[in-house]
Amino acid sequence: MAIQQDPSALLSAPPSTKQSNHACLTRTSTSYTPLHTFALPKGAERQYQQQYADMYFSRLAMLKPAIEKQALDAWGSFTLGGETARRVERVLDVRQGDLCWVIGTCYMEMPLKPNVLDDISKEHWIAAPPPRATYGATGGRAGEAMLEDESGRLRLTGSFLDSCMLVTGAIIAVLGTENKDGDFEALDLRLPDLAPQPERWEGVEGKLAMEGEKGKIAIVSGLGISGDEGDALALDVLMEYLLGEAATEEDQKTIATVSRLIIAGDALANASPIPSREEVLATKKAGNAAHNRKYGYDSSSYNAAPTDRLDTFLATLLPSIPITILPGIHDPTSTSLPQQPLHAALLPHSRAYMQPPGSTTPSWLDSTTNPAEFICSGLRFLGTGGQPIEDIAKYILPSTTTSTTTTPESRLEIIESTLRWRLTAPTAPDTLPCYPFQEGDAFVINHCPHVYIVGNQPRFETRLIHGPDGQSVRLIAVPRFKVTGELVLLDLESLVPELVRFEV
Amino acid sequence: MAQHYTEYLAANVLNEQQLISYRSLSRALKVHSNLAKQMLFEFHNKQNSKKPGTVHATYLITGTKRQTKSSQANGTETRDDDDTVMQSSPPFPGSSAPVHDEDEEEVPTVVRSVMLVKEEQLEKAKATFDSIIGIHVYSLQAKGLSDTQALTECNRKIATSYASEDPQEVWKQYGTIQNPNAKRRTTRGVPLQKVASKAVPAPKVIPPTTAKQPSTFGKAAPKPQTSSRPISKASTPEPASKPPAAKKDASALFKSFAKTKPKAKQEESQGSGTTSQDTKDEPMGGFSDDEDEFNDDGVIDEIETKMPAGKSKKERAADLEAMMDQEDEPMEDAPEPVVDDAAENAIDKPEAPPEPQETVTVQNGRRRGRRRVMKKKTVKDEDGYLVTKEEAAWESFSEDEPAPKKLKPTTTNAKSGGGPKKATKIGQGNIMNFFGKK
Repeated sequence: MAIQQDPSALLSAPPSTKQSNHACLTRTSTSYTPLHTFALPKGAERQYQQQYADMYFSRLAMLKPAIEKQALDAWGSFTLGGETARRVERVLDVRQGDLCWVIGTCYMEMPLKPNVLDDISKEHWIAAPPPRATYGATGGRAGEAMLEDESGRLRLTGSFLDSCMLVTGAIIAVLGTENKDGDFEALDLRLPDLAPQPERWEGVEGKLAMEGEKGKIAIVSGLGISGDEGDALALDVLMEYLLGEAATEEDQKTIATVSRLIIAGDALANASPIPSREEVLATKKAGNAAHNRKYGYDSSSYNAAPTDRLDTFLATLLPSIPITILPGIHDPTSTSLPQQPLHAALLPHSRAYMQPPGSTTPSWLDSTTNPAEFICSGLRFLGTGGQPIEDIAKYILPSTTTSTTTTPESRLEIIESTLRWRLTAPTAPDTLPCYPFQEGDAFVINHCPHVYIVGNQPRFETRLIHGPDGQSVRLIAVPRFKVTGELVLLDLESLVPELVRFEV
Repeated sequence: MAQHYTEYLAANVLNEQQLISYRSLSRALKVHSNLAKQMLFEFHNKQNSKKPGTVHATYLITGTKRQTKSSQANGTETRDDDDTVMQSSPPFPGSSAPVHDEDEEEVPTVVRSVMLVKEEQLEKAKATFDSIIGIHVYSLQAKGLSDTQALTECNRKIATSYASEDPQEVWKQYGTIQNPNAKRRTTRGVPLQKVASKAVPAPKVIPPTTAKQPSTFGKAAPKPQTSSRPISKASTPEPASKPPAAKKDASALFKSFAKTKPKAKQEESQGSGTTSQDTKDEPMGGFSDDEDEFNDDGVIDEIETKMPAGKSKKERAADLEAMMDQEDEPMEDAPEPVVDDAAENAIDKPEAPPEPQETVTVQNGRRRGRRRVMKKKTVKDEDGYLVTKEEAAWESFSEDEPAPKKLKPTTTNAKSGGGPKKATKIGQGNIMNFFGKK
C-alpha cells in the first residue's frame, strides 16, 4: 500500500516555479489476441437459406462425447432395485419400465413463448400485447420439458425437474424410466459441464516475455449514448478518469495500470437499424407520417449525434488506452447473433486506430463480434452483450427459483449454467434470432474461458466457479453504465474485480 | 506564470461568464491537469476572499463510500449448493457434480466512488464517504450552476478546438496517461470533410516556434496535388500564407478554418479537373460497401505514431512555408502531401508492357475492354518528400463504369471533355456532408 497522500493535495496553491512535480504516467500494456470464433462469412457467402435443424444436429453431435463421459462417470454402475441403468442410444428406443439414460436436446414448451403464428395474427390486433418479461404463465409451472434427438421426442416429468434450470437448446443427459403415460420420469440429469480450459498463456507466442505482465482491464457496458444533453456528463467523467486526468495522483496511478477498455455491448441507445414490430405498427397507425419512409425508416429523422458522440468518446480515449468494442442489441449492426462488428465507417475519427481487414496485427480499436472471444494477457475471455442471458431469464419464472438467497433477478446462476451447458446462446435459434450455421454450431464452447463477461445486466455481480477438471472461471455480470454509472476494473493477476461508481 | 493563469481565469470566468474546467484550463495554458486543478483552487480562493460568492466551484471527490446499498449490489450473496442443477445435490452414488466450496466465499468487492458535486453540497457529499482519496476542483463558473450537465460543454469545446492537436505529442503536457504502443494509421485522401478540416489547419496555424506540433495529421493532410499544377494556382497556396499573422488567438482561428476549409477544398476539386475528382470518389465505393470495411486499403498507410524527432521537422515546416509563398512558380519539388488514389492498386503495379491500342468489345450489351488512363503515382524522393506523378496506365473496364475518358497522355485540359459529368460527380462526393457534423 502506498503512503496515503493528503486527500486535499490538489486543494492548494500551485507551486510558484513553472516546473511542477506532477509526473506524467505511462500506461501498462498487455498482449492481446482477438479470436475470430464468431465471424460470419462475408458477402455472398453468407447464406440464409439453410434450415436451423442443422444447428441442433451439429450441436448434439458436438456435445455428445462430453456429456457421455459425464453420464458414464455418474451412472455407469448405478443400480436401483437390482436393475442396472442402461444406456439408450436414441430417444425412441426407450422402453416402458426400463431404467435407462438417454441424451438429447431439451425443448421447452411454454405458454407465452413467441410463436410465428402469433406474430402474424398480431398485425390484425388493435393493441399488440406487450413484450413478455417471461415465457411462462404466472403462477404455474415453467412449462413442459421435452427431450429431443434426431429420432423423436420424449416428454419429461417428475418433481426432480422443478429444481433444474432447463431451457430450449441445452444438451442434457437424463436418467429415469418411462411411465405408463409414455412420459419419462426423470431421476437425475447431467450436463456437459465446463469445457477443457487451456492453461494461461497456452498457445500464445512470446510467452516468456509476457510472463511478468500485471495490471487491470476496465469493463463497461450499456453506455447508452443517445445524443441527449442529459446523460453526457457521467460519460465525460468516465473518459477523464480513464485518461488519468480527473481525480488525484493516487487514482491516476491506479488507472495507469488499466491496460484495456472493453465495451460489452450497447454503446449506443436506440441505434438498432431494425425497428421492432411494435414500432412498425405504431408508425403505421400514425398514418400520414409514413409518406417518406420505407420499411419504417424515416430518413429525414436520422440523427447523427449519438454515433458522433461515441466516435469522439472513443477517439479521445484511444491515444491512451486500447479498446475492444462489442455490439449489443441496440447497436447499429445485425440483430441476429452472432452480431457482426460495428462498421468502421460509423467511426470516422476512431477508425484511424483500426487495422485494415486481413492484417495480422490486432487492432488498437478492436471492433468485434458479439459474442466475442479474445486472449488478453494470456487469459481467455468470452464476452457477450447480454442477449442470451436476457433471453434465458425469460424461461425462468421468478416463483420457481428455488434459491432463497438469490433474488429473482440474479443472473449469475444463468451465466454459470451457460458455461456448464457449453453453449454461449442455448436458446438460439428458438427464441433468439441467430445465423443458421451450417457446419457446426459456433455457440458451442470448445474452450472454457478464464473470464466470462456478460454485459447489460441489471446489476453488478461476480463469482468464481470451478469445473470438474480444475477449471476456474471468473463470471462478471456488468451493469448498464447509463443506469448505474458503474465501471468494473478486473485485476489480471488475481482476477478480482473492483467497482468504480460515477455519480454526477 | 501566476499572473498568466489569474488573468486567463479572470477574463474567462468573471468577464465572459464561461464555464472553465480543469481540462479547458490545462489545454488553454498547456499545463499539467493536476496543476490546472491547483490553479482553479487558488483562483477560487482568492476571488472569494476578496468578494465572497463571486466564483462558484464544482468538486470531484474520489474515495470509498459507506456500504449502504452497495453491499446488496455487489453480488456477494451466499448461496446454497443444492440450488441449481449444476451442483444438484446428488441423490445417487457416483455423482461427479462439482461442489462449490463454501469457504471460498468471496471477499466483498471494493467499490470506489467518483462523485461530482457542487460547492454547496460539498460537505454533505463528503459525509457520505467512508474514506476520501482525493478532492479537487473540477470547474469554476461565475454564477451558481443550475445544471451540472452544462459542464459537458467544456469537453465539447475541447474536442472541437483542439482536435488538430496530435494526442501523442501534446497530451503529455496535460498529464494524460501516455501509451507509447498506440497504433494509428493515416488515411490519405479520405473524402470526409471533417477529417480534412481537422487536418489541414494544423501545420499552418502553429507557428514554427512551437516545437513538436506538426503531426501525423499534418503530413497526411489531403491537400490535393493541385499545387504542382500551374493551372489552379488561385486556390491552393492562399490559405497557407494567411495564418502566421494571428498566432495568439489560436482557437478562434481554428474554428474559422474548420468552417472555411471544406469550401476551399471544393473549389480546388472543381478547378483541378478529373484527377482530383477520382481521388474524392474512389474511397466512397469503399464506404458504401457493407462488407469490405476498407476497400480503400490501397490508400491507407500504417505508421507508428511515434514520429521522428522534431528538429528537422521544424526546418522542413519553414521550408514548406517558404515554398508555399512563391505562388506563381511551378513547383517541381514541392512536397506533395499525398493524395494517392487507387493508383497503387494491383492494376498498374506490374507496369505491364503497354499494349498498343485500346480495345473495346461489346458483349450482351455490356462493353468491356481495356483503356488507357492517367494514374497518379506517389514516390518518396531523396529528401523524404512525397512526389506525385501522373503516368499512363492500362485498366480494364466494364460498362457500369463511367464511359472511358480517352485521355491523351500529355494534355492536361482533359477537363473540358468531362464537363457535365463532373458536376454530377461532385454532387455525389458531397453526400459525405450528410455524415458530417451539422
